[in-house]
Amino acid sequence: MGLEQYKGDMNMCCRCSACKFIPMQKISGNDYSYVCPSISRYNFHSYSAGGRMNIGAAALANGPTYTDRLLDIVYNCQMCGACGVSCNYAMDMEVMAPITEFRVKCVADGKTHPVLDKVIERLRQQDSMVPVTGRRGDWAAGLQLKDATKEEVDVLYYVGCLTSYDKRLQKLARITANILKKSGINFGIAGDAEPSSGGTAYEMGYEQDFLNQASKTMSLIRKTGVNTVVTSSAEDYQAIKVLYDKFKLKGDLKVLHIAEFIPQLVKEGRLKPRKAVNLAVTYHDPCHLGRLAEPWVHWEGQKVPGDRFVFDPPKTYRRGSGGVYEEPRQILQSIPGVTLTEMPRIKEYAWCCGAGGGVSDSNPEFAQWTAQERIAEAESTGAEALVSACPKCEMTFREAAAATGSRLKVYDIVELFEQAIE
Amino acid sequence: MALSKEVYQAFEDVVGPEFICDDPAIMPSYHKTEFAAVILPENTAQVQSIIRLCNRFKLEFRPVCTGWTGTFKPGVLYIDLRRMNKIIEINEKNMYAVVEPYVITAQLQAELMKRGFHLNVKGAGVNCSAMLRGHGHLDQSTSGDDRNHLAIEWVTPAGELVHSGSLGSAGEWFCGDGPGPSLRSILTSAVPPGVTPGVFTKAALKIYHWPGPTKFPVIGTSPNYELSEIPPNFMARYFSFPSVEQAWAAENKIGEAELAMELMGFNVAMVAANISTSNEEEEATFKRLSKEVLGPGFFVIIAGNSAADFAYKKRALFHIVEAAGGQSLKSLENPRTEGILLCQCIRVSASIRETFRPGGMFKSIPVMGQRDLTIKWAIGAGKAKSPLIEAGHIVDDGGASFGWGVEQGHVGKTEIFCKFDPMNPVAKEAVQKWYDEQSARAYKENYFALLMPGHPEDIGKSLSNYHVWWNAIQKELDPNRVSPEAGALV
Repeated sequence: MGLEQYKGDMNMCCRCSACKFIPMQKISGNDYSYVCPSISRYNFHSYSAGGRMNIGAAALANGPTYTDRLLDIVYNCQMCGACGVSCNYAMDMEVMAPITEFRVKCVADGKTHPVLDKVIERLRQQDSMVPVTGRRGDWAAGLQLKDATKEEVDVLYYVGCLTSYDKRLQKLARITANILKKSGINFGIAGDAEPSSGGTAYEMGYEQDFLNQASKTMSLIRKTGVNTVVTSSAEDYQAIKVLYDKFKLKGDLKVLHIAEFIPQLVKEGRLKPRKAVNLAVTYHDPCHLGRLAEPWVHWEGQKVPGDRFVFDPPKTYRRGSGGVYEEPRQILQSIPGVTLTEMPRIKEYAWCCGAGGGVSDSNPEFAQWTAQERIAEAESTGAEALVSACPKCEMTFREAAAATGSRLKVYDIVELFEQAIE
Repeated sequence: MALSKEVYQAFEDVVGPEFICDDPAIMPSYHKTEFAAVILPENTAQVQSIIRLCNRFKLEFRPVCTGWTGTFKPGVLYIDLRRMNKIIEINEKNMYAVVEPYVITAQLQAELMKRGFHLNVKGAGVNCSAMLRGHGHLDQSTSGDDRNHLAIEWVTPAGELVHSGSLGSAGEWFCGDGPGPSLRSILTSAVPPGVTPGVFTKAALKIYHWPGPTKFPVIGTSPNYELSEIPPNFMARYFSFPSVEQAWAAENKIGEAELAMELMGFNVAMVAANISTSNEEEEATFKRLSKEVLGPGFFVIIAGNSAADFAYKKRALFHIVEAAGGQSLKSLENPRTEGILLCQCIRVSASIRETFRPGGMFKSIPVMGQRDLTIKWAIGAGKAKSPLIEAGHIVDDGGASFGWGVEQGHVGKTEIFCKFDPMNPVAKEAVQKWYDEQSARAYKENYFALLMPGHPEDIGKSLSNYHVWWNAIQKELDPNRVSPEAGALV
């Protein structure tokens, strides 16, 4: 069905511009009231979710008008989902789904972005969404972790491409493994055998490549025999938990982000954050751990004929309320000495870090522009540090902070938590 | 349709290449219209330069703020004002705020609340330009229409820069009528897409005393926002009455006593829309509330400046309602529901639920005037909706209209609309027929006159030939006819 299945949704767009802003009741001033990086940066209505819906509807009616501008619109979107949350406060219509399907259609029609083509080529050749440096499991050298493909474990720690290969971020894998070790959980890793989850490929519009990766990843998980996967990568978390479920590939696998798992371990008494970490922080909700992590809702049905846009059976929209928002805050609040001050845009209406949807590859300038907006917002809280729970967010923010000369330190949440535990 | 290279270049020289586009790919997102180009000026000087070029090239233009609705003809230059989004000044002493066209009401309102002020919010919602002329939930205590406009910076259709009122004489924004040139009769509209030709590039708006918190304590995640507590000295209630006459009597008395911060003549369908997070829930809630009400009603917010003031207002309000035979809708007295309505109806953030969510489109007949007269007309217009409801062409809202008093009630707004599926041609045609018939009936039966495009003379004759005068004024203002908005002095 592709884009066609969202015809009614796209026609529902009333051009109210809610998709450009955080939910109206949450607007607390003139600053930090926008939520969509794309319209904020590029200004033409076409770059907003509403504009994208209008373009999608026209493409269905008359065939797409492929121009350089259209592709610029299509690929300059982080697919962060904030537009959908703001729209769905008041409207019953799918927003992110048709925008995603339009990208899929572009790729199917051969209207791709050359840089993203190279990223996908690397995925096909080297099974990685990021440049490959050394072996995937090198980060674990000397840690003596269990190989989940050979040894019996209860939990698989899925690391992800970026954390595995990026020398700056490998520490996050080591810290996460260390936390899991300290908790006494019987876990293992897949090391060199770990495939890319393919989540970002889907966001880029390469649906078949995503499905190939999903198949490989689920084969590996089945091979390990675990029924719980823990990851410190928000993107991979969302891919395995939500996207795999969307395509009915996940089965009953339990997927946890480390930020969800840690509070459980603390509650069970396995971890005790007792050492003070004296730091004033603010927390950035990664899109893939927040609004995009809302569980997939399987639904099949038809519009009820008549005046209302209602369905049989009734359709449940994913409006952003089911993301992982409280657990990371619980972690921060559990660390002695850490004080948390919230930014104006948080949780389901958080501003994106800028790196999603392939934008960090296809348009690094736009990714950085978006991240710098967030750095300024974080600075406005008076915090000393910006904490997130996603390696891509951390990487993007570090670059943005350096580029702007910001005094803010940037941490992943596991970095602070590890300092606090005995 | 497309601009020549030379013409395009001339506009590009004004705003830079990043802020003009004539690519066909973007046009579906601009009201599905093939504009000559879309241009995004950053300031008044750029607007002026653009309009002068339009005159030079005899190119029609249409300025637009948030662009929620509008009917546009192809081939014109679309001036998208979204880069003009600054709050220029909030003057607490003289109680006004100066804004550019793309400051949305939610932004200005939030800044004002921090300072102990608020403003008139148009019924369309806080997602619209703060400059927008119109009416809304808070009209009872904050007036409406052009009454809230003070001095205005206006680029005329000929490209001249005009400063109205005190801005024209003293460089101050505090008054729209003088000392200095009062153009109130011409600047009757607000901002695009309005009816005054040219572009309002800045406007001073009246602001009002706000007795509430610096921000509402909104908790929860979207769409389940609620207030953690009802702010002190605030109360929201929905009252229903056995008859229209009794409701109207109570509305009048509440206005006379100057009790209400907000008196919104919501029907229960609109209340249901506000408190429901989906279409299915809304339909069920409407059915439930319809059984609970006595008949027509209205929603009231009272806000006390002190505990004693609040106690007095509350007591007087209930006394008036009781005397008129009305009663409070008990199921809405639940503090959670009360909080939702209180916040949503001050930070007007659910209008989209009331209008577009059910079917995707609505068609409305809004009128200003004597409430008793317009209510009588609206009852007939409501009855005329019944066949459409029965046929399943429009959403069942009980055939109700809504409305409210402005400035404590000596004039008022009445509105009635049909919500429907715009993809259903039969429904669309039926709604248009209803609209035409009810508009014509209003004029024939001497209720009021709507501006009906294509028929200005019929109505103009009854209104001092306003259309002749307006055309003469417009010709002077717009000698090259590049600003095609027809005027409305009605």
